[in-house]
Amino acid sequence: MSGSSRAQNRLPVRIAVDIGGTFTDGIAQLGDDGLILTAKELTTPQDPSLAVATVVAKLLEQARAAAGVRGATAEHREVVHGTTLVTNAILERKGPHTGLIVTRGTADALRIAREMRYDLYDLDIELPEPLVDRADIIEIDGRLDARGRELEPVSAEALDAALAQIRARGIESLGICLLHSYLDPRHEQVVAQHVRRALPELSISLSSQIASEIREFERMSTVAANAYVQPLAASYLRRLRQSLENVGATGPLRIMISSGGFTSDQSAADDPIDLLESGPAGGVLSALNTAALTGVTEVLTFDMGGTTAKACVATEGVPAITYLFEAARARRFKKGSGLPILVPSIDLIEIGAGGGSIAYRNALGLLNVGPQSAGAVPGPACYGLGGNDPTVTDADLMLGYLDPENFLGGRMRLDPSLTERAMQRLAEELGITPMKLAQGICEVVNESMACAARVHVAEKGLDPRNLTMVATGGAGPVHAVEVAHKLGIRRILCSVAAGVGSCLGFLSAPARADRAWSNAALLEAVDGLELGRVMQQLRASAADELLSAGVSEQEMEFTVTADLRYVGQGHSIAVDMPFESLDADMPRMLAGLFERKYVQLYGQVLPGGVVQVVTWRLSGRSKQQTRQFHLEPAEAGTSGVRPAGHRQIYLPQRQAFGEVPIYDRYRVPPGSVLQAPLLLQEAESTIVVARAAEVQVLPDFSISITLSQDDRSSQ
Amino acid sequence: MTNFDPVTLEILWARLGSIVDEAATGFVRTSFSSLVREANDYAVVLTDAQGQSLSQSSFSIPSFISTLPRTVRHMIDRFPPETLKPGDLLITNDPWLATGHIHDVSTVAPIFRRGRLIAFSAVTSHVPDIGGRVRSSDVPTIFEEGLQIPPLKLLDGGQRQPAVEAFIRTNVRVPDATMGDIWGQGAAHERIRARLLSLVDESELDLAALSHEICGRSERALRAAIAALPDGEYPYLVRHDGFESPLQVQCTVRVKGSDLEVDYTGTSRQVESKSINVVETYTYAYTAFAVKALLCPEVPNNEGSFRPLTVQAPPGSVLNAQHPVGTGARGQIGHILPVAVLGALGPVMGRRQRAEGSGNCVITMTGREQGRRFTVANFINAGQGASAERPGLSGISFPSNLGNSPIEILESEAPVLVRERSLRQGSGGAGAQRGGDGIRFAFDYVGEENATCSFLMTRRVVSPQGAQGGQAGEPASLRVNGEERDPVSVKLLQPGDHVVLETAGGGGFGRA
Repeated sequence: MSGSSRAQNRLPVRIAVDIGGTFTDGIAQLGDDGLILTAKELTTPQDPSLAVATVVAKLLEQARAAAGVRGATAEHREVVHGTTLVTNAILERKGPHTGLIVTRGTADALRIAREMRYDLYDLDIELPEPLVDRADIIEIDGRLDARGRELEPVSAEALDAALAQIRARGIESLGICLLHSYLDPRHEQVVAQHVRRALPELSISLSSQIASEIREFERMSTVAANAYVQPLAASYLRRLRQSLENVGATGPLRIMISSGGFTSDQSAADDPIDLLESGPAGGVLSALNTAALTGVTEVLTFDMGGTTAKACVATEGVPAITYLFEAARARRFKKGSGLPILVPSIDLIEIGAGGGSIAYRNALGLLNVGPQSAGAVPGPACYGLGGNDPTVTDADLMLGYLDPENFLGGRMRLDPSLTERAMQRLAEELGITPMKLAQGICEVVNESMACAARVHVAEKGLDPRNLTMVATGGAGPVHAVEVAHKLGIRRILCSVAAGVGSCLGFLSAPARADRAWSNAALLEAVDGLELGRVMQQLRASAADELLSAGVSEQEMEFTVTADLRYVGQGHSIAVDMPFESLDADMPRMLAGLFERKYVQLYGQVLPGGVVQVVTWRLSGRSKQQTRQFHLEPAEAGTSGVRPAGHRQIYLPQRQAFGEVPIYDRYRVPPGSVLQAPLLLQEAESTIVVARAAEVQVLPDFSISITLSQDDRSSQ
Repeated sequence: MTNFDPVTLEILWARLGSIVDEAATGFVRTSFSSLVREANDYAVVLTDAQGQSLSQSSFSIPSFISTLPRTVRHMIDRFPPETLKPGDLLITNDPWLATGHIHDVSTVAPIFRRGRLIAFSAVTSHVPDIGGRVRSSDVPTIFEEGLQIPPLKLLDGGQRQPAVEAFIRTNVRVPDATMGDIWGQGAAHERIRARLLSLVDESELDLAALSHEICGRSERALRAAIAALPDGEYPYLVRHDGFESPLQVQCTVRVKGSDLEVDYTGTSRQVESKSINVVETYTYAYTAFAVKALLCPEVPNNEGSFRPLTVQAPPGSVLNAQHPVGTGARGQIGHILPVAVLGALGPVMGRRQRAEGSGNCVITMTGREQGRRFTVANFINAGQGASAERPGLSGISFPSNLGNSPIEILESEAPVLVRERSLRQGSGGAGAQRGGDGIRFAFDYVGEENATCSFLMTRRVVSPQGAQGGQAGEPASLRVNGEERDPVSVKLLQPGDHVVLETAGGGGFGRA
């Protein structure tokens, strides 16, 4: 891709922008050698596209200047963008007046859900409120059976009655979910055509298009959510494109989706529900890119921010994907308390453990940390913004891990006396010293993250000791080494520019388009010809989407995934193979792959078990390439390996304080090898290595930490 | 380590929880039983060397809250520690020793460290099949219900016992799946053992001292909650639909200081012709669940959570049934125990008092279609009672946690056409806060030949009662081809039959 542009003395510029709650961050990659420029603006909540355009304009200007220095001209290629717009619209219920058309007898499906309780012991359980009011759900006739045969057509009278109701209720966006449409979309299409003819301006989402999967409640919930956010997303993307054009960024606009790929702005406007986990997906990809650069493919990503910690497992460099995601949980960290959404998403666990997590004495007299968080305001006690409760950040400060004079690159001063006061109060309640409390807070929060990760890794049938941890987020590098130690993980990587981590992920993401076909059958009974026909159709449709995202035919690769299980089992296992190996023999080969994976996960096959396929999936991607990023060289690597100072920090291994060197992270030249314990400070975070380890600065300024062998792990 | 500060204790406690949850995660994923997978009909427990519960898997349903540690203690009685060795795996499904019906198989494994017994792991789960007649409330004695497994060693010092396995395999319809689940339990034991040993090694932990400490903390938390209630005697009567004759659960809660006694004297006799009888351990379990949910839901389960609570039910009553009555459908009665305890304590619960709700109904159907056998079960949940603070929940499982089957899944597994699954608008009792609505589930049977079916229903005669002047909810009902039917009388469905089942609405709270 690169050779020709350099020959013409033009440097391609690729830009990534991530909208956060406070800041809109952007990076530009100049040329193909991975030079990174950064820019930051306050987020503009009333119209987020404004801040995005400003950031892009700044980056283009910097790029032109930087190219000029190199005697070249900058050529804008593309903008890759991630946004929390969709998530926020659902959380804050900002969507338009949304309606649904459903099969007669199923109008209560959203309220009935699966009839289960996500917490057995809570008598006053709070359930998530559906996105569509019961009064806006319209039933119509027409019926398919479970083999896709038409038992009753959709009648003209029913269509007219539905139309009248849409008008009478003033519905602005419409979802359609009819029984068995995952087998045959024709009834949904008939309804959509009829409505579209009469109301061409109405936004319409079809369940057979958004989530072609069996289980009517989950599919209806998904299409309702898509309809709920579609008009907002479409108008936002239109405005954004316009704003970008105004600042001269006329290249394609790509949008990051939950599965860890990007799609075209048009596809994103049609199926905006795919954007739910746009931002977090970028963070994971960024971490994996860092890992891939050092040749690491088996990874546990660990992202710890102010309120939550997230972790994701990747094998062979590919993040685990879940096909059922939950949005807008009634209780944030309770599985089952949200609205189910059937879109492929990077499989992240999230727990309430962050820098702002509050420590307290629980009903049993024990020290607990989180999930309540002091947030940014009032924030940890040491912020001096009125917070009175001790938090994880306060503990980090007390143990010497954070520099009170140099927090957030000196943008903020921390006040240790406020931390001490907050610690004192809780320590007295617990009957321990404030210092013991600070150690305890770190230990407890690290343990709760390790426990969650242990169970998550066990679900994947993996052993954490074989994984490398990649730490991101403001608090990630502070706690990563201790969490890794608890998990028996020996190697930890910290990527560059933690503050723009998601953006690096956007630039390293492949384009991606997913399709699904639910057709439950015994694997041995699968008609290879029919499967081939359907997969060809799905491939053509996915290829169209990839083409619109700027991927040429030669760059595309396709994978067929089958969700397989033994007949009678509830959980399925995803087994995949390249599209090219699709032939009459595929079912037999899949059975073999399934057994191998089953053994890997559970140690043994089921004697006499019969393999069944539930859903076929096709995933198209642009061929992945690892991207090397580095910051402007001027900032870095000038002071040699001399420490910038020394500080007393708490060393858990010795259960005592000790003096350790502090390094300015970006001033230690690549290739340096340092002996921990030590601290590496940077503007966005501090890398804390409070136990014996070898610390290496990699060519791209990533940090690699290898814990010493003699340090017995707790696994 | 024998002294625990509030930090160390929290960490160790979290680790014990994570050990059983990690083992449970692996077990659920490999299970062949749909009740394990979809409804968490299993439990994993770690106990100390005396069989005192230390930690329990987080997502298990309430029926196992206290039965599994008791199973461990029964096993210790039969296999004293000096007869146990590393690699032993003990098995039983005796309702009186284990979970109250033979459909759950329980296994217990001793954990040794340096030759000393330090703990037990225990797993129980609803197996895919246990032989005998297909589960319904119509089975008179345990002998018709299926295979009984007395306490035996399934593994003896790591060696498989072929005779035990052969007996099980021969007596169940799906031997591979049933044994698959039992060996899956074995894998869970192995994981707990490995994880516990590394925890003990790493921290030189004295497990007995830890047990003493955490059980003490849980016990004190529950005692404090009980002590906050005014001393006194609080009776409550729940009338059940009954079978040939009426049936009632008489519950008397006695609060005295920090002790709480639940006495079921006055409850009906066991029912000889039906398998709805409840054994004493199951009565204890659902009583303990209600007490915990009401008084301290956030405290982790362990032996201490049970010490302040005593439960009595007269031997021979339906809540302390005696061998050899049938117990397979014990949930029919067991599920009303939380209603009784909540009702009894209501007057002293202030704003948390609540009206009665209803348990679930179950349709099971089996037959042949296009030469293939099909079996489907669908749970239909009901309305729950309102409280002073909020309306009752509509169509939700309580106290168990059994979800519905999607219409599209039901129709692809059995020849039925579902016409409606909706909320019964207005079926919850009126009140200042309304009771939750029940569900209406309507379907056509469209098979080629007749299908065998069973309808387990509740709250058809006696509907959920209101509280503080709130109205009762609407009762449940069953209609086949427009005709009101007693569910026990419907055993066959013919092609073209139209079935409408409605579950009850919950009781309202306070005058409207």
